[in-house]
Amino acid sequence: MSSAVDGANPVRRGIGRALVADRMGLAGLVLVVAFLMMALLAPWIAPYDPIALDVKARFQPPSAQHWAGTDHLGRDLLSRIIWGARLALGIAMTSIGIAGAIGLILGLIAGHGPRWLDGILVLIFDSMSSLPMIFFALAVITVLGPGTATLIFVIVLVSFPAYARLIRTQTLALTQADYILAERAMGAGSARIILIHLLPNVIGPLVILICMDIPVVIMLEAGLSYLNLGVKPPSPSWGNILSEGYNALRQAPHVVLVAGVPLVLATLGFTFLGEGLRDVLDPRGAGRRWG
Amino acid sequence: MTAIISVENLSISYRVPGGNLRALRDVSLSVARGEVLGIMGESGCGKSTLAAAMINLLPTGARISAGAVRLAGTDMLRLSPEDQRRLRGRSVAMVFQDPMTAFNPVLTIGRQLADFAGAHDPARAAPAALAAMLGRVGIPDPQRCLDRYPHELSGGMRQRVAIAAALLMQPDVLIADEPTTALDVTMEAQIIHLLRDLRSSFDGAIVIVTHHLGVIAELCDRVAVMYAGQVVEEGPVDSLFHDPRHPYTRALLACDPAVVDPASGRLPAIGGRIPDLTALPEGCAFAPRCGMAQPACASPVPRHHPGPGRSVLCHGAGP
Amino acid sequence: MKTVLDLRDVSVDLPLGGFLSRARLPILLDVSLGIAAGESVALVGESGSGKTTLARAVMGLQPISRGTMSLDDQPLSTAADFTRMRRQAAMMFQDATASLSPRLTVGYLITEPFRIHGQPLADPETTARDLLAMVGLPPAIAGRYPHELSGGQARRIGVARALALKPRLLIADEPTAGLDVSVQAEVLNLLSDLRRDMGLAYLIITHNLALVRHVADRVVVLYLGRVVEQGPTAQVFAKPAHPYTASLIAAEPKPDPRQRRADLAIRGEVPSVLRRPSGCEFHARCPLARDLCRRVAPALASTGPGRMARCHFAVTTQQEQGEEHAVEN
Repeated sequence: MSSAVDGANPVRRGIGRALVADRMGLAGLVLVVAFLMMALLAPWIAPYDPIALDVKARFQPPSAQHWAGTDHLGRDLLSRIIWGARLALGIAMTSIGIAGAIGLILGLIAGHGPRWLDGILVLIFDSMSSLPMIFFALAVITVLGPGTATLIFVIVLVSFPAYARLIRTQTLALTQADYILAERAMGAGSARIILIHLLPNVIGPLVILICMDIPVVIMLEAGLSYLNLGVKPPSPSWGNILSEGYNALRQAPHVVLVAGVPLVLATLGFTFLGEGLRDVLDPRGAGRRWG
Repeated sequence: MTAIISVENLSISYRVPGGNLRALRDVSLSVARGEVLGIMGESGCGKSTLAAAMINLLPTGARISAGAVRLAGTDMLRLSPEDQRRLRGRSVAMVFQDPMTAFNPVLTIGRQLADFAGAHDPARAAPAALAAMLGRVGIPDPQRCLDRYPHELSGGMRQRVAIAAALLMQPDVLIADEPTTALDVTMEAQIIHLLRDLRSSFDGAIVIVTHHLGVIAELCDRVAVMYAGQVVEEGPVDSLFHDPRHPYTRALLACDPAVVDPASGRLPAIGGRIPDLTALPEGCAFAPRCGMAQPACASPVPRHHPGPGRSVLCHGAGP
Repeated sequence: MKTVLDLRDVSVDLPLGGFLSRARLPILLDVSLGIAAGESVALVGESGSGKTTLARAVMGLQPISRGTMSLDDQPLSTAADFTRMRRQAAMMFQDATASLSPRLTVGYLITEPFRIHGQPLADPETTARDLLAMVGLPPAIAGRYPHELSGGQARRIGVARALALKPRLLIADEPTAGLDVSVQAEVLNLLSDLRRDMGLAYLIITHNLALVRHVADRVVVLYLGRVVEQGPTAQVFAKPAHPYTASLIAAEPKPDPRQRRADLAIRGEVPSVLRRPSGCEFHARCPLARDLCRRVAPALASTGPGRMARCHFAVTTQQEQGEEHAVEN
């Protein structure tokens, strides 16, 4: 009862249960949790040191000792994949998290603040998103040099405008909603309106979009690392593993295969989870899916 | 008078979490050519489900557990989907509460009316024929109206165009679901007059579904009062309004602010809530709110016929 | 009696919105209105008459372009004025469900006025229960979300929230819109009980004349943003001075099949505010219109004690009104 009175609970009850009831969402949730566990527990579950060399054992196919085989330097691929999950998810979640937070704050300010500020912010969002992403990323990396920090910086810069614009559009639509007018008529200040009444109602679509964007970033990281523009080589990034595997595609095809599988599964996991969340969180989406 | 459309012992339910929602229970009604029937009730009484069944547009999930809707003898609910579609519109047309939702916003009125009319007979889609119909529903300068878009018309004008669209299909039955609820009082009066004028020129039956007692009184020949999925009272509008037999009808007529003397200060209200449609009692569904309830009300309710054309579903209404 | 709300010559206009255009569209024109403590005033008009705009202007949600407003002799013009007045005045919106923030519980929403105005709220639970009891709802409803409420319940929550801080003035925009007849009666009775118990002043905005007859002491009729008639409710309904008021009353459907009207009380539609008619703005729809009406705009003039009308030919009504008064007294 007291929770009912005090509860400014931004999320409606039973989202977890509804998500589990949605088969695709459940599959996504299982995959995402599995990858998260893999990333968190990497030091304990990886059978070998991911960068320890064993030149005698190079290009071994999967065996009882090395479940996923070894690469051109004899490193255990399973361990590299497990540590790679930590790197991939770490970069993706950090950068998208920062971009999401920036987008949320700027979007709320643009949508609820004074018109002139909105004009300036929209100009910034538009000019940012009009830059061709890959060339912009290449240019920044050329200037700052490749590395994890550069990668995160680039991803934040290219992804926050989309989030900010989503939040701004939602906020603008809600600013004229009856309940926001009613709050203003009761004397609520801007801080209360934004934090208690706008935020919980605009954040759902952002969570969904972020979920769907994480695999894009994982792919981008893999792609840039593959081009030697991302994470520097000894680190076990999935992109690095792929890139090295391609050099020996004829000799040892298993390298590319075992590095590709987690990439595909992680992408599917986050996409399914995002789709599942959309069906659960967005009441307007109810019935949009067929069957 | 022979009925042009008749609903026979119709029961419809929806499956909902936690049970079976019984939207209609053993409803029987009929309307003759040239007659205007009013279906009156509060939200949740089943009047919208009844209207949807009469035009065969029941939502998915609706289960017809018994009964039929006969249009000139054919049971509409058991036709093939192809035959249903052919029948709908030509024989039964509907006018909705918010006419804006019935129109496509990016096509002109003329284009949309032509689609309605031309679906069955291309000759009726000629601009002159369309303009004549718009003139008949009281639209000034009908020729220009054909070139307009739905958003350029006021609510009252859109409702007139919606009525014109329905009439272009030359239906046998015209169903109007809350046709004046979204309109101002002066527009409401004009639409009531239009519908009343149409009765004489339109060779079919009109069914008005509304919660507004004034609209029923102004427009209808007969009225059916619904409560919790049943027709609890039916009869000619004059005798029913002046001699209501069912306690619910009486309460409903008594608490309309338009009839209560302002000097009395307080308005009579009906205490309690409508019953849970997933757990209806075996006896009278109104009994918990009824001031005249007796122990007998817990047993199944008989239907009495207190006068010509009248029927009442109440234990207390017997001879 | 003491005046609570006082509006003098309030005008509102909106930018027409062309690129670099300075043109403005008048929505309200020189509306003057006073509401005394404990008095209930109804603002009546069709859609487009500007009645909702006036309510929003009073609450500071819509800037006014001319005129003065005051609440309890305190001027209402700056943002600080409105912040202060929002403790003494409350507004109920037309769509009761949509005016409740969707992700919050009823218990939170109903106690929010205390949080907004930094009022002591020692025991939110008891406060919520008391407020729910005041509007006749069970305490268990505190745990519900707005989408789980029926129309009547949402309306009651709106009343409870509006009255939480015991305001002096309540503005109610279509307080019975979308409610069933039986629930309508309950909400109207609740409003009149609270007025009696708390000495509230009401500004009720509606196009439902049956409602006006029951809850309003005085009625103000708006047409295209101008006051065309005002006066005590019973007198205005008995003898409307303006032909527009007369046609509104006649247009109302009577719930009695023996009183069917033979012909239309009023033809045509409310003209667009973009194309205001010349002279008297009602002339195109008026059964009494003469040449004078097409050329000269009438002024709002007294037609009897406490009564005003904006019509060249309202004078005749005044004489009848006077005679009737003589008889009554």
